[in-house]
This record gives sequence, structure tokens and C-alpha cells, in this order.
Amino acid sequence: MNCEKCKEQISAYLDNELDDISSANVQEHIAACADCAKVCEDLSMILDFCVEDVEIESEVPPNSKALWRRINNIIETDVKEMKPSPEVVDNRNWFAKLWRNSWQMSFSQVVASFVGIALISSLLTFVAIKNYSAEAEMDSNAATVSESVFQKVLGKIGLVETPAQARARRLAEQQKVIDYWNQRVELRRQNWNGQIRETFDRNLREINQVVYEYNSILEKNPQDNLTGEMLDAAMNEKMDLLRAFSEL
Amino acid sequence: MKLILTKYLCPPALKKATIFFLTVVFFFAQTAIEVAAQKKFSRSYPASKNVRLQLTNRTGTVTVEGWDKDEIQISAYLEAPAANINPQSLNGGIYINLVKDNMGRNDVGNVNFTIKVPYTSAVDIETRIGNLSVGNVRGTFVRANISAEGDITLTNIGASTVSAENLMGDIFFDGVVQANGHYRFMSTRGNINLRIPLNSSFKLVATAPSTRNISLGEFSNSKMNFLGDGRRVVGQTGDGSATLTVTNQRGSISFIRR
Repeated sequence: MNCEKCKEQISAYLDNELDDISSANVQEHIAACADCAKVCEDLSMILDFCVEDVEIESEVPPNSKALWRRINNIIETDVKEMKPSPEVVDNRNWFAKLWRNSWQMSFSQVVASFVGIALISSLLTFVAIKNYSAEAEMDSNAATVSESVFQKVLGKIGLVETPAQARARRLAEQQKVIDYWNQRVELRRQNWNGQIRETFDRNLREINQVVYEYNSILEKNPQDNLTGEMLDAAMNEKMDLLRAFSEL
Repeated sequence: MKLILTKYLCPPALKKATIFFLTVVFFFAQTAIEVAAQKKFSRSYPASKNVRLQLTNRTGTVTVEGWDKDEIQISAYLEAPAANINPQSLNGGIYINLVKDNMGRNDVGNVNFTIKVPYTSAVDIETRIGNLSVGNVRGTFVRANISAEGDITLTNIGASTVSAENLMGDIFFDGVVQANGHYRFMSTRGNINLRIPLNSSFKLVATAPSTRNISLGEFSNSKMNFLGDGRRVVGQTGDGSATLTVTNQRGSISFIRR
């Protein structure tokens, strides 16, 4: 007799419903098989428990089918109680998988992991250095800056700010400040005398011309770092001029 | 009869004399009006050797001269409508701010300052329009800033930090470059001339993007590099302990041996 056949007949065996031969076969198998013996023992305990229960609740009919249904219900209830909630199962599975998998990587997986970590570390280091030294680069003495393909890619995906993007951002900030001081100047200039008004207009025209020239150069050659730097200086001078005259 | 009278009363010589007399009278009257229109302001303050002078003018010239006295002497000519001047002596420094003192006034005339300070004073002057001049000063720093138009002339300067900035106008610096000093000259349109000793040690960044006219003169050496098609010169002389930054957007930069 194999285990499967034995487990099918255990309940009938415990209820003395098997014929002598079958009962002997089951008995023989249980004697030899520890697993089936354990199942038999468990069922026997449950059966004893249920019999006691039946004795207490005398109104329950001593029907074997009903009894087994009851046993099944009890088992199912117990199993349900033992079963954790789906999330817990998932989490436990996830952690268990991770724990098991972390120690079950092939050589190629280990190498791939190291390469991945190295790449990510390099990328993060590069981004950090790039951002840290962005202003220093603006002050560098190089006349032009040529972006590498890597930098361009990083710029496109928004990981680093390209010189052109940094310049555009800076210009927008400066223009806001200029607009503010311009409004202040417009309020004040009606009170100036002719000399101040003429001088201011002449100097503003000069600085506007400088800004225009630098913008034209940068349109043709956005990589011209020196012109970018000069444009920045000219915008600062324009801000200073407007601020200074807004106080008069 | 009429003809005789005319001839007698208005001979050509008398006519000339009359015209000359009227011209002289008109000239003196005009001068008198101008003098009467100007007010003079004078004040002196006792000062320590390393006193700080901070002056913010609106329009007009400012001349600061070092002298061998522990005293600051301020003289100013105020053109009509005369500006308010209210110098403050605070923490061993003299502070004059005509922008603040005349805030809200619609029209204020030029104020032309002549100020004497101890040789070792720190001088910080700025104006909106007008020439600035500082001479014979060797304190910790000299700063001269013109918001718009005017020349800056710094002569016989021995400060370790010097800054001169204008928008339209020339800048002239004549002085020594101290070890570990910082020197900054910036203009938008004008000429920048720097007269310094040949044995000066400094790191240089000189930029003249429009004219590309950067003349190093005797300071040219193998460590000086022209960048960006000659728009910028970067290099050093001696041990390069001082820093010298010169920017002229639309003008020239020249170095002259002192």
C-alpha cells in the first residue's frame, strides 16, 4: 500500500469501517510509514476530541458523515486561523525570496551587480561634482566649452544642467531683477533734471548695445563661454545702473 | 543839428569803449551770479591713521588726497539747488551719503568734493555721475565706483585691495601691486591704463572682448596666454601672489611700466 491509498482509508480505518484485509494493510503501512502514522495519530486525536464534544452536546446525531463534516469544518477553521493575511504572505514571501535569492546568485549575476553599482556610483559622483563646480566653471578661463556626448545625454534627461541651460536660467533671473528696477526708475525719472536723464539714457543705451551684441554672438555660438560670462557681467552692470538711479 | 549832435555824442571810440565796458560788466556779473549760486561746505574731523572714509555722492566730482595729518578735512562746493550734507562720524569712520540725505528731493545740484585724509586711510567712494580721483593713499583698500559716467584716476596708491568700476569713462591706476593683494578694474566703454612696477607679482585675467586690445607692454612673458581669439589674456608675473582682474567690455586695456 502506498501513502496516498493509506491516507484515503485512514478515516475509515479509525471508524472501523474497513474490512479485515484493508484494515490490516493500513495498519501494516502505518507501522512502516512515519508520515501516515502521524496523520493517523492526528486524526485519531481529532476524533477523540469530537467524540468528547459529541458526548457533551448530546443533541448532535452520531452520524459518521456529519461527524466528518464537522471534523472538516474544524480543520478548515484551524487552517484559516493559521493562514496569515495576503499582504503578510506577500511580504513574508518577498523577504524570504530576497533573503534566499541574495545568497543564491550566480557568478554572472554577482559581476553584473558590481558593474551596476559601479556605474550608478560613478554617475552620482559625476552629477554631484558637476553641480558643485558649475559656478566655478562659469568663471573658468576657457573661451569655449564643448559638451561631451555623455554630458549632452545627461543634460537631455535633466540630470545635469548644460552651460546653455544654466545661462538661460541665470538670464531669466537677472531679467526679473532688471524689470523690477526698471519700474522703479520709471517712477523716479520724471523728477530728474535734464543732465541726469540724458546721462542715464546714454549709459543704458550703451549697456543695451553690449547685451545685444553678446546675445547675437551666443545665438551663433552657444558654446562661447567667454561671451556668456561677459553677458552675465553686462547684465549685472545693467542691474547696478538701474538700482543706482532708482534711488535718485 | 541832429547830425552834429550824433557825431558829437557817439564818436567811434566812445562806441568801442561802451561795448568793452558792457562786456566786462556782464562777465563779472555772470561770475558773481555763479559764485552766489554755489554754497561751500567745510568740516574737519580728527581721525586715526587707519580711518575709513565712505562717501556716496549723487552727481559731481570727488577728489580724495592723502596727507600727513591725523585729520579728515572735507570741502565741498554745492551747486544750486544745494544738496543736504550730513556727515556722520561712527566707529572711527566718516560716512557721507548724499543719496540718502537727499532722498525724495526732486532736483539736487552737483556737489564737488575735495577731501584730505591720512595717508593710511581706507577709502570707499562712489557716485552716480562724475569723475573720481584718489591720490597718495596706502591704507587697506581703495574702492572707486561710478554707476554711470565719469573717469576714475587713482594715483600713487599703495593699498592691498583696489577696486575701480565705471560704465563709460577711463580708468587710470598708478600704484604698487602688493603681495597677496586683490585688484579689480572694470569698465564698459573707456580705456583702462594700469601703471605698475615691473617687478610686480600677480596672476592676471584681462578681458577685452570687443576690441581685443590688450597691451601687456613690458609685462608680456611666456606665462601670458591669449585665449578666445585674443579676447582674454591669462597668465602670471613673478610668483603670482596678487590677483589682477581687468575687464573692459568695449575698450582697451594697457599696462605701463611704473
